[in-house]
Amino acid sequence: MSELPFDPLLVAILSPLCAAVLILLAPQRFSAPLAWLGFGLPALLALHTWYHFPSGLGGDYAFASEYGTGLSRFGIALHLGLNGISMPLFALAGIVGLAAGLYALQSGAERLRLYLALLLVMQGGLMGVFASVDVFFFYFFHELALIPTFIMVGIWGGRDRHYAAMKLTIYLTLGAMLTLVGLIAVYVQSGAQSFDLIALRAALTAQPLAETVQHYAFGLLLFGFGILVSLWPLHTWAPLGYGAAPSSAAMLHAGVLKKFGLYGLVQIALPLMPFGAAKWVGLLALLAALGNVLVIGFVTMAQRDLKQMVGYSSVMHMGYAFLGLACLSTVGAGGVVLLMVAHGLSVALMFLLATSVHQRTQTFDMEQMGGLAQRAPVLAAFFVAATMAGIGLPGFANFWGELSIFVALWSFSPVFTVVAVAGIILSAIYGLRAAARVFFGSPTAEFARVAEAQAPADLRWAERVPALLLLAALLFIGFWPKSISEPVNQALSGSWAAAVDAGAPAAAIPFSAPAPVAVDAAAPGARAAAFTAVD
Amino acid sequence: MTPVQQALLVLLIPLISAVVIALFLRRRGGLATGVSVAAAAALAVLSLGLIFGGTRFESSVEWLRLGDFSLSLGFLFDDLAALMLFVVSFVGFFIHLFSVGYMHDDRARARYFGGLSIFMFSMLGIVLADNLFMVFIFWELVGFSSYLLINHYHEKQSAADASKKAFIANRVGDFGFLLGIILCYATYGTVNLGELRALDESSAVVAASAIPLLLFCGALGKSAQMPLHVWLPDAMEGPTPVSALIHAATMVAAGIYMLCRVEFLMVPEALNVIMWVGTITALYAALCAVAHRDIKKVLAYSTLSQIGYMVAAFGLGSMIVNDGGPETIIEAGVGAAMFHLTTHAFFKALLFLGAGSVIHGCHHEQDMPKMGGLARKMPITFATFTLGVFAIIGVPGLAGFFSKDAILLLAYQNNGAVFAILAISAVLTAFYMIRMWRIVFFGEARSEAAAQAHESGLSMTVPLLVLAVLAVIGGYTAVYGNLAGPLANLIPHSEAAHGVILVTSLAVMLLGGGLAWVLYRRPDAKDDAIAQKSPALFRQLVALQRPFDAAYGYYVAKVQQRFAMMLNFFEKIFLSGVIVRGAASLVGLVGLGARALHTGSLHTYVYWFLLGVALLWAIASGVLF
Repeated sequence: MSELPFDPLLVAILSPLCAAVLILLAPQRFSAPLAWLGFGLPALLALHTWYHFPSGLGGDYAFASEYGTGLSRFGIALHLGLNGISMPLFALAGIVGLAAGLYALQSGAERLRLYLALLLVMQGGLMGVFASVDVFFFYFFHELALIPTFIMVGIWGGRDRHYAAMKLTIYLTLGAMLTLVGLIAVYVQSGAQSFDLIALRAALTAQPLAETVQHYAFGLLLFGFGILVSLWPLHTWAPLGYGAAPSSAAMLHAGVLKKFGLYGLVQIALPLMPFGAAKWVGLLALLAALGNVLVIGFVTMAQRDLKQMVGYSSVMHMGYAFLGLACLSTVGAGGVVLLMVAHGLSVALMFLLATSVHQRTQTFDMEQMGGLAQRAPVLAAFFVAATMAGIGLPGFANFWGELSIFVALWSFSPVFTVVAVAGIILSAIYGLRAAARVFFGSPTAEFARVAEAQAPADLRWAERVPALLLLAALLFIGFWPKSISEPVNQALSGSWAAAVDAGAPAAAIPFSAPAPVAVDAAAPGARAAAFTAVD
Repeated sequence: MTPVQQALLVLLIPLISAVVIALFLRRRGGLATGVSVAAAAALAVLSLGLIFGGTRFESSVEWLRLGDFSLSLGFLFDDLAALMLFVVSFVGFFIHLFSVGYMHDDRARARYFGGLSIFMFSMLGIVLADNLFMVFIFWELVGFSSYLLINHYHEKQSAADASKKAFIANRVGDFGFLLGIILCYATYGTVNLGELRALDESSAVVAASAIPLLLFCGALGKSAQMPLHVWLPDAMEGPTPVSALIHAATMVAAGIYMLCRVEFLMVPEALNVIMWVGTITALYAALCAVAHRDIKKVLAYSTLSQIGYMVAAFGLGSMIVNDGGPETIIEAGVGAAMFHLTTHAFFKALLFLGAGSVIHGCHHEQDMPKMGGLARKMPITFATFTLGVFAIIGVPGLAGFFSKDAILLLAYQNNGAVFAILAISAVLTAFYMIRMWRIVFFGEARSEAAAQAHESGLSMTVPLLVLAVLAVIGGYTAVYGNLAGPLANLIPHSEAAHGVILVTSLAVMLLGGGLAWVLYRRPDAKDDAIAQKSPALFRQLVALQRPFDAAYGYYVAKVQQRFAMMLNFFEKIFLSGVIVRGAASLVGLVGLGARALHTGSLHTYVYWFLLGVALLWAIASGVLF
C-alpha cells in the first residue's frame, strides 16, 4: 500500500485549496507554478493510490484515516478512505482536474488568478467528494465544488450566461436539497447516530429500514441525484449550462462533478435501501431508456451548436448509466462505474477540443465551419479520437462500460436492451456528423472568411498536453480494462451484491425478461418470476 | 517461440507500427511507408510459419470480469482461421507493397500507412478471435479503420460523406450483431466459439432462429448485403489499394468468415433467409454493374455480387438433408463459401490493383470511356488484369471457375430458383467484366490521359504478377488443399451433376462475354453501347442503383431529421420554457433562502451556505445550545 509519509487523500484535498488561497494572495508571477502544484499534486496522488490500490479488499476502504472535526455530537468526522468504487473516480478527478487546470492556464482568461483559484477550489471539493467515507463530508465537498461552478458560469460564461447560471443554480440546488433531505432521512431513520458510511451500512444491514421509509427516502435520493446527473426530463440545465460554461469549468463539472450523483446512488443509496431501489428501478429505466437515450439521442442530432451537442450527448450517455443502475446487479453497477470514469475523461476531452475549435473558427455553430482538418490536422485527429471514444468504439474506455451495461440489461429487460443498443446508432450519427461538419469537406463561406482574417493554427502544445493526458487515460483503460474493473468488481461483489440482491426480487420491471431458456440459468430466476408489466 | 506467442506477435506487429507512425512519423511519409510495409512483411512471414507449421491451438486470457460476466481475449487458431490468416496477411502484404508506388506522391502518406496498419491489426483480430465479444471488438475496429481510409481525401465532400455513410451503415448492422451476441451469451452462458461448438455437439444448442439471424445482421453491414449494401459503392472514394484490401479482399469478406465461425448455431429457417439475401444481392449488384462508367464502381458492384454468391453458398449448404434423418448438413456451405472467398480475394484484389495501376497510369482518370487502347501501353497490367477477368468470369482452369462451379453445384442440387438466378448473375458477370476489359484495354485511346498512359513501376507490377499467379492456380487442390486443409474436403462435388454444371457455366460465360465483346467493339467516349441500342433499357439499368440511396436519403432528410427537429422543438418549448419557469416559481415560493437566489446575486448563495455551515457546526459542537 502507500509508503508515503503523509496521508495522500488529505493532501490531495488540501493542496488545491491551499494553492487557491495562495494564488489570490501571491503576486501574479507565482500563479502558474502554484496552479501546477495545486492540480499536479492531486493528480500524482490519485495515480499513486490507483497504482498502489491493494487487491483483495472486498468492500473495505484503503488509505483510511479519520480526523476529528468537533462535530462528534452529530456523528460527523472527516473520515477519508477509498474503496473499489471510489478509487477509480478519485483517479478520474485527479486526471481531469490536471487537464482542466492546464487548459485553463493557457486559456488567457480575464482575471486569470480568480479563475484559477475557483477551479482549484472546485478541484479540492472533487477530490474530497470521492475520498470521503463520511456522508456529511461527501455532501459538503460536493457543495464546495458546486459553488465555484455557478460563479464561473456567471463571470466567464459565454452566450446567455446569466440565464444559464441562474438555471444551473436553481436546478442543482434543488437536486442537492432533495439529496440532503434524503440523506438526513436515512441518518435519522437508521438510528446509527453517525454519518459514517461504514457505520450506516452496518446499522442498516442489521436492521434494514422499513420498506415504506426506503421507498420515500430512495425516491428523494433518486430524484435529487437524478437532477444532478441530468435524468430526463430534469436535464435541461445541462446542455444550457455547459453551453455557457467556460471550458475548464465544463470539463470539471461534466467530467467529474456530475458523477457525484451516480456515485452516490451506487455507493450509498443502492446498498442501503435495496427495497426502495427495487420500487423505483422500473420508472428509472423507463425515463432513462425513452428519455435520455432515445429522445435526447434525437435531440442531439438536431443541434447546430457544437458545445450544446456535446452537452446533449453527455445527457444521453447518462441514460446508459441509469439503465446500468436499474439492473441492480454487480455487472450493471460495475458497468456504471466504468462508464462514469470513461465518460468523465471523454466528455472533458470533448469540451476541451470544442473550445479549441471555437478559438479557430470564432463560432460554435457547426453550419459555419467545415474543412478545418486541412488547417489543423492534429486537432482533427484528436477530435475524431474523442468522438470515437464517445460513441463507444472498442479500444477506448467507454466501450467496456457500455458493453457491461448492455449485457446486464438483457437479464433486466430485453426491450430496454434493444432501445439502449439502438443508441449506438444514434450516437454514431451525431458524432460522425459533427466531425464531418467541423473538419471535413470544403470550408463554408463563413469559415473561409474567418480563416482569411486569421489563419487558424494547428493545436498548440499547451492544448495538446492536457488533451493527450485525457486521451492516454481513455486508451489505457480501453486496452487494459482490468486496471479499474478489478477493484470495482471486488467492491461490488461481496456484501454490496448481497445487500442489493435482498431487494431485487421486489423489483417492478416493465418489459422484463421472460424466463431464460438458459442451459445454465445464471440469471436469478426469482427476478424473472416477478414479471409485472407497467405501461 | 510458442505458437501462441507467434500469433500474439502477428496481432501486435501492425498495432505497434500504427502507434509508431501516429506518434513519431506523422511528417515522415517515407519512413512511415517503410515501417508499415516492413510490419506487413514481418507478420506475413510469421503467419506463413503458423499456417504451415501445422499447429492448431486455442488459448485465452480473461480481460474483464464484473460479477458473473467475464470477457476474454484469446485465439482460436483452427483450419478456418489459418485459411483466412493466409488471405489477410498474404494479400495484405502485396497491397502494402502496391501502395508504396501508388501513394508515392501523396502528402498524407503517413496517415495512409498508419491507417493500413490499424486495419491489419483489426482484421487479424477478427481472424484469430476465439469468442464473439472479441470478434465484435475487432469488428468495430475494422469499421473504424475503413472509415479512416475511405476518408483519406478528406477535403473532398464526397469522401467525407462516404466514410460517414460506411460507418453508420456498419453500425446499423452491428446493432443487430451485438444484440445477437448478448442473446447468445444470455442463452448459453458463453460466447466462446470452442465452448459453443461443444454445446452444439452435446445437442444443448436451442434451435432458435433469433440468434443466427441477429448475428447475420453483422454480416449484412460488414459484407454489404442488401439492404445495407449502399455504403460499398460510395466507399470507392478511398484510395484504390484500400478498395482492394478492405472493400474487396478482406474486410467485406469478414461477414462470411464470421458466419462460417458460428455455423453450428445456424438453423434451417435462418439459412433460408441468408440464402435468399445472398442470391438477390448477387443478381441486383450484377445488374447495377452493367451500366457504370466508373471503373472502380463496376468493381465495387462486382464485389457485392460475388459476396452475394458466398452468402448464398453459405445459406444453401443447409439444404442437403440427410437421408437417414431430419438432420441438416451445413458444412458444405462453409466449404463452398470459404473456397470462393479465397479465390475471390485473389482475383478481386488483382482486379482492383490492376484498376489502380490503370488509374495511376492515366493520371487519376476513372472514367472507362475515356480510356482505351491501354493493352499496348501497359502490357503487364493488361496481362495480369486479363487473367483476373478470366478468373472472375470462370474461364475453365482458372481459380474462379472452380469456386463458382462449387456454388452453382450446391444451388443445382438444392434449389432450382436460386440456381437459375445465380446462373443469370454469372451471365451478367461475364458481360460487365468483358465490357470493362474491352473498353479499357482495346481500341484507340479516347482521351489525352489515356494516350499518355505509362506502365506502373516495379512496386506495383510485382504484386500484380503474384496475385495473377494465385488467381490462376488458387483453385487447384494442390494449392487450395494445402491452404485450407480439411476444409477443402467440404467443397461439394458430384460426378453425376458434373456435366450439367460444366455446360451451364461455359454457356453463361460465353453468352455474357461474347455479347459484351460484340457490343463494345467500338466503344464511344460519350455514349454507352447499350444506350445507343436501347436507351430505355440503359435508363432502367442506371436507375436501378437509385432506389436504395433515394430511400435512405428520404429517411435521413425527411423522417429522421424532421423527427429530431420536432423533438428538439418540444425540448425547447416544454422543458426549457414551462417546466423551468414552473420550477423557478416553485422555488420562489419556498421561502427567503430560495428567494435570495432570485436577486440574481450568486454571492448571496455563498453567504447563505456559509452561514448554514457555521450554524450547523455551532449546534453540533455545542457552542450555541
